[in-house]
Amino acid sequence: MPASAEWGAASRHFGFIVLGRLALLGIGVAVWEALARTDVVPAAFIGQPSIFLPFLLAHIADGSLLVAIRETLTATLAAFVIGGIAALLTALVLTASPLIKQLVDPFIDAMNALPRVALVPLFIVWFGLGTLSKIVSGISLMYFILLYNTLAGAHSVDPDHIQLARSLGLSRKRIFTSIVVPTAIPAIFAGLRLGLVYTLLGVVTAELIAGGKGLGSQISYYSNTFDANGVFAVLLVLVILSYALARLMTYVEGRLMRWR
Amino acid sequence: MEGGIVVERVSHVYAQRGRNVHVLDDISLAIRHGQFVALVGPSGSGKTTLLDILSGLVPLQAGDVLVAGRAPHAGRPDTARMFARDALLPWLSAYQNVYFAARTRPGLQEREKAILTLLNEVGLHGFERVYPRQLSQGMRQRVALARTFSLQSAYVFLDEPFGALDAQTKLLLQDKLLALWERFRSTVVLVTHDLGEAVALSDRVIVMSSRPGRILADVTIDLPRPRSVRALQTRREYHEIYSRLWRELERAAGMTPESVGAG
Repeated sequence: MPASAEWGAASRHFGFIVLGRLALLGIGVAVWEALARTDVVPAAFIGQPSIFLPFLLAHIADGSLLVAIRETLTATLAAFVIGGIAALLTALVLTASPLIKQLVDPFIDAMNALPRVALVPLFIVWFGLGTLSKIVSGISLMYFILLYNTLAGAHSVDPDHIQLARSLGLSRKRIFTSIVVPTAIPAIFAGLRLGLVYTLLGVVTAELIAGGKGLGSQISYYSNTFDANGVFAVLLVLVILSYALARLMTYVEGRLMRWR
Repeated sequence: MEGGIVVERVSHVYAQRGRNVHVLDDISLAIRHGQFVALVGPSGSGKTTLLDILSGLVPLQAGDVLVAGRAPHAGRPDTARMFARDALLPWLSAYQNVYFAARTRPGLQEREKAILTLLNEVGLHGFERVYPRQLSQGMRQRVALARTFSLQSAYVFLDEPFGALDAQTKLLLQDKLLALWERFRSTVVLVTHDLGEAVALSDRVIVMSSRPGRILADVTIDLPRPRSVRALQTRREYHEIYSRLWRELERAAGMTPESVGAG
């Protein structure tokens, strides 16, 4: 099977890949450090790894970054769960009733085309400077991403499967639960994976503007005080969080969909 | 007539891009219960539409159809349908795919054991837990075959079940199909492009013309049963019937050899 052959090749090169990636990372950091030290690019603009890495560790150790991480992740999780459930319920209604779907389709498209980040100042006006506007900002991204993916997944049902189900005398309800839902599951997972990363983006954007204690607020604070090292330290945290969340979703997906 | 299939004066028109396409024209035929009948003809001869009408997937427009004395409708427990593409559910294992169908027929005794026996019969012993993605096209079609017969229906409608397979796999599965038919003795209607397949498997071959589909010839195949499609390949009688039918086809329709698929 081609899949297993590929995997075999990957595992044979596994050590090389890991070492190679570490080497690339090391080269990148070294070049960065050299540029900053030699003042080819002023360190005030790009920071300096030898300064922001210890800075990062110190702020993790004294707990101040952990508070920010918790703040941001809590809002992200809340937006992910609320937006996700709302999207799945909407998708359920729209899949069950093609008429309603046809009715609201252009509105959903229009809402999705709107750059949600531009709405964040409005959310802050509506919901204040606190956690709520961050959550709403996250939801505004999560909801449409998952809704779109779920609808597309439910729409991709194989006509052969419907014919089979009809020939077996399955009811509309049974066709929905045993054919439409399983067909949509991979697309739903893709939506959850993408949605989680974008929810984080939505929350951080709100924090950038509204301030408070989250990671976005920290970035905003450090850049306003011209502290490039502070900005890069927080960005590094965001990269790691975002990557870890995406990997976590991929892992859960793999466990739940062994048939793929 | 008790049991069997009666088709009387059936015509069918599809609307396609605002135009009416006449696919079936005044088809009448009767099939005795337990008979294995093949419908052959070029693409567009309406053979699949006729099968869809028999299985109740497409509503009857004109004429009369009786399957076991009743009008067909989708999901009748005494009818089973097999599709040209395997139509396996990719999230279910081979066993679960068969079970998915078999559970819609309540009252089957020892269903689990029957499914394992069927999978064994089509040569899938040891592959029960494997997902369709990991199976070859031929193996997927074996699962579909087992699924169709797991319904233990008196009427089995097969639409080009082996059309996408290579010649060797095809022979193998044709023999599996014959073995299943010998065991269940259902009435089988097989739609195929492949005249060789039709002759080797059937009691009777019905040849249809291209659009609108009409019956050009209705030929009884008197090769002895039980048959082995593999063994038939070297038998003179088989090739005689095949070429006789082929000539009849060409004469009846004034067709070029290319317009009916060779077996």
